[in-house]
Amino acid sequence: MNHEPYDTLAATYAVGALDGQERVDFERHLADGCDVCEATLRDSAEALATLARSRPPMIPPPAVKEELLRRIAATTPARLDASRRRPRPLVWAVGTVAAVIAAAAFTGTYVAVRYEAQLGVMARESAALRAKVERDEAALREQLAVYRNAADLLRDPQVQVVTLRGLGPSPGATGRVIWHPVKGGYVFVANLPSAPPGKAYELWTIGDAAPQPAGVFQVDGSGQGAHRIAPVEGGKPVKVFAVTLETEAGVQQPEGPMVLASAK
Amino acid sequence: MATIGADLVRQMAAGDREAFAVFYDRYAPVVFPLILRIVRERADASDVLQEVFWEAWRDAPAYDANRGSAEAWMVTRARTRAIDRIRATRRRSETFVAPLDDGIAAAPRESAPDAAERAADRGTVMTALDRLPDAQREVIELAYYAGLTQTEIAERIKQPLGTVKTRIRLGLERLREVVKASS
Repeated sequence: MNHEPYDTLAATYAVGALDGQERVDFERHLADGCDVCEATLRDSAEALATLARSRPPMIPPPAVKEELLRRIAATTPARLDASRRRPRPLVWAVGTVAAVIAAAAFTGTYVAVRYEAQLGVMARESAALRAKVERDEAALREQLAVYRNAADLLRDPQVQVVTLRGLGPSPGATGRVIWHPVKGGYVFVANLPSAPPGKAYELWTIGDAAPQPAGVFQVDGSGQGAHRIAPVEGGKPVKVFAVTLETEAGVQQPEGPMVLASAK
Repeated sequence: MATIGADLVRQMAAGDREAFAVFYDRYAPVVFPLILRIVRERADASDVLQEVFWEAWRDAPAYDANRGSAEAWMVTRARTRAIDRIRATRRRSETFVAPLDDGIAAAPRESAPDAAERAADRGTVMTALDRLPDAQREVIELAYYAGLTQTEIAERIKQPLGTVKTRIRLGLERLREVVKASS
């Protein structure tokens, strides 16, 4: 039998584009067992996976992982328990008083140990939760202070608002700088991907000389961030604001890719 | 590399939550940009990502390493769920606002120049897909990233169905060769 028509169907199926009766026919062909088509589908899936991997990786919002782990913990019984319970009936089976006492002691210890372990887990969980709430609260306070100060600054007639546009790796990113020539200002960004581990975003003020570092910052899970910009020494005019991706500690001269910049 | 992934899925199937955390850290950064490219909205992409990994945890016992790497398992899943999401959105917009053709055309019209621009922007990161002749790359992108079926693609690029199918087959064959040669 000529297999060629199936090669075409398999390719179209592999990219999810096969429709209508052809799809029904091909799925029947697959169900009947065709090693050639299965190999085509397998190789295609691997090639498309390699294609996905060849693009720059992106760290998703941390909330996704937290939610997944919470969901899994809530719905999955600890499957390892079964093996620990097994010895119990064995001990009871001996039937002597000593064994009963031993068993009781064993069970008591066992229950106590389990109980303690459970308590330990709960204590750890609630401590972690408390720490998280405290962290969140501190972050919110900080954010509130930034917004309040930025709003105060906006009342000053000398303040300029500068738009930042996303570049190269993050074309969808946006930003605004609220800038006072003497007091400094704030930068607000949105739609920036979280920086990979060990990295952070760094702001630069560019006047007539080399770019001046103006601090590193991170964005939150929704891609937003705010950062206070110190005034430029001597109140020299700033012509361009730019953001690059650098190592967490920050650098003195821009090295990483530029992700946002103001129009000149 | 593939075997580490397969081992992790096996441990997940046995209920190992730590294995899941490692598995997530390993594959989420690979599939997230793919999902985002398809659904475009970061919030939607996060939803889809969560759904995909939840299903991976649930379906881990059914994974068969002989049928492909864990990575391909996840990428296929992510692509399918992301396309489900945009098709559902398209259906809604067809019902309430757009006539059929507009609904279908809306997403991909942005996607073709977008992808080309991005490939040019990236400069350094030339993917295997960029090495395909334009006509072949176009049909694969419309199918794989925009979720169009062969019939929809034929209507959209105004070519006979047979041509579309041939381009997909040749493009995919080429892609497999390029990937094989570079790995």
